[in-house]
Amino acid sequence: MEELTDEDFAIPPVKYEYLDHTADVQLHAWGDSLEEAFEQCAIAMFGYMTDLERVDMLQVHEIEAEGHDLQSLLFHFLDELLFMFCAEPFIVARKVKIKEFDRENYRIKAIAVGEEFSIGKHSQGAEVKAITYSAMQILDKPEVDRPEVFVIVDI
Amino acid sequence: MYVSTKGVKKKKMVVRQYQEELKYLEKINNYCWRIKKGFQPNMNVEGIFYVNNTLEKLMLEELRNACKPGGIGGFLPGVKQIANVAALPGIVGKSVGLPDVHSGYGFAIGNMAAFDMNNPKSIVSPGGVGFDINCGVRLLRTNLFEKDVAPVKEQLAQSMFDHIPVGVGSKGIIPMTARDLEEALEMGMDWSLREGYVWAEDKEHCEEYGRMLNADPSKVSMRAKKRGLPQLGTLGAGNHYAEIQIVDEIYNKWAASKMGIEEKGQVCVMIHSGSRGFGHQVATDALVQMEKAMKRDNIETNDRQLACAHINSREGQDYLKSMAAAANFAWVNRSSMTFLSRQAFAKQFHMSPDDLDMHVIYDVSHNIAKIEEHIVDGKQKTLLVHRKGSTRAFPPHHPLIPVDYQLTGQPVLIGGTMGTCSYVLTGTEQGMQETFGSTCHGAGRALSRAKSRRNLDYKEVLDKLEELGISIRVASPKLVMEEAPESYKNVTDVVNTCHAAGISHKCIKLRPIAVIKG
Repeated sequence: MEELTDEDFAIPPVKYEYLDHTADVQLHAWGDSLEEAFEQCAIAMFGYMTDLERVDMLQVHEIEAEGHDLQSLLFHFLDELLFMFCAEPFIVARKVKIKEFDRENYRIKAIAVGEEFSIGKHSQGAEVKAITYSAMQILDKPEVDRPEVFVIVDI
Repeated sequence: MYVSTKGVKKKKMVVRQYQEELKYLEKINNYCWRIKKGFQPNMNVEGIFYVNNTLEKLMLEELRNACKPGGIGGFLPGVKQIANVAALPGIVGKSVGLPDVHSGYGFAIGNMAAFDMNNPKSIVSPGGVGFDINCGVRLLRTNLFEKDVAPVKEQLAQSMFDHIPVGVGSKGIIPMTARDLEEALEMGMDWSLREGYVWAEDKEHCEEYGRMLNADPSKVSMRAKKRGLPQLGTLGAGNHYAEIQIVDEIYNKWAASKMGIEEKGQVCVMIHSGSRGFGHQVATDALVQMEKAMKRDNIETNDRQLACAHINSREGQDYLKSMAAAANFAWVNRSSMTFLSRQAFAKQFHMSPDDLDMHVIYDVSHNIAKIEEHIVDGKQKTLLVHRKGSTRAFPPHHPLIPVDYQLTGQPVLIGGTMGTCSYVLTGTEQGMQETFGSTCHGAGRALSRAKSRRNLDYKEVLDKLEELGISIRVASPKLVMEEAPESYKNVTDVVNTCHAAGISHKCIKLRPIAVIKG
């Protein structure tokens, strides 16, 4: 992985929201590119678990995800990040940056920048149990001007 | 409405007006509705759901909303989900919706369905169990009364909160190594007993005696184990809780006394938790595997979320073995919190848990699939019974319930929502015949989480709880709105429907005086 630049530590603007679902919550994220929509979706997930304002960017963790189509790629991308939070190294990300987005082989390499979650410093929000395919939507250019994704996470 | 016609990928829009949809639903009596074949494609059996007048409105409202053009972005209402489950291969009897039913992932939450083990086409579906495998409720009794606890209520609530790790990112305090985890997954509560966290008699009062024998940790991914290890002995977040409760009403004195509940005012402890990240990952892994198996074996379902595999396929068997390991995890988890609760009480009252008579009344699972014997059309059959947001409620004399409850029927624990009451019911013969010995599991959500956050005020919810004399310790303030009683169906409506329909009977009502939550 190449060296990190200051840009990697710049806090991205918020391009996500939380939509209604009876038992769970639907993440809706968008961006100038599909990469950005994916990144924003990941931040939306962390934002539901804790207040991101309190998360410092002290640690960088690399993840890789692989799928067999775009939806399964998004699913596994989020699942990897959820796993990073739930088990070693227990990192909550303030920012996620996709470094490689291979649309032919459905592979992503990304970095998550944040720190180890610690009760006391970080607020405890809702617990995300799992990522689901339920009503998952991925809209990309040229069909739409603004790429966006919808993901329901199980709470 | 998305309805698959050919294969999984191709989805066809079937637009039917609400009035048209209603023609497929028939009210059988004041507590029960029939869902006729044709409501969804390929239904092998009919559906049935239990609601009273209040719950009926919620149920039909959900359907009406889904019929509106422009709809709700592919969310299926609970009643449609019950019908889609009725279309799964190998289902017998009926697809059953319990009174707390609401839209879930694949199966509705509050949905049970049984599949014939001797039909090679029969399936097992992780969506029919849920992500939180063996999520369940445990009730401990004490010999204390409200007057003993009232003066130290705040201290006791704080002590429980200090003892039990709660909320997102919390880690267990029971020392565990990777090897301990392997053993715990295989042994369930036998592990807790060996390690000295529970009493021998606790096991007697658990479904399956706290151990599913077919558990095979080698079928579980490393990922699930890594998520599970730090979380063993943690309560979790969401609707999970530990509550100190007071016996508020006794409907059946004789059955209550068999449970060690003698009088109103007696203090109990209720623990509602599951298999934590371990179970969530087991479910996630299985769903990925089963998508592949479905393509290979040409299993067609109405909804992609109903991922499933033939029971006898490798994927089906692997899931049942890893699900059993997750079930064992959950029992060890609830047992660890039982231990911590006993410690908190013992320290507060300077008496041993034994002297406080802190026995387990019962422990139920409300997200699980089990192999059971039932009578279908007059013949005894071995079935794989899926209960998702549904509790087993076996009648008196059933061989799988403990000696202490042979005459009363199985105790069924129904957890209320924060600040509302909880119930103990008992299983009935009618329930055995109509719903494969199943009943409701709780209140069931009425408002979405986002709506709760928008419409409810944090302080108002807390003030209301204080007015009711309920101490609360919660790790996440947002959760207070999401889990407010207003966000849920009225648990009393749910329980009364079960009672009136005869699928289980009311025995005890409990009200909380302290709530510990994620």
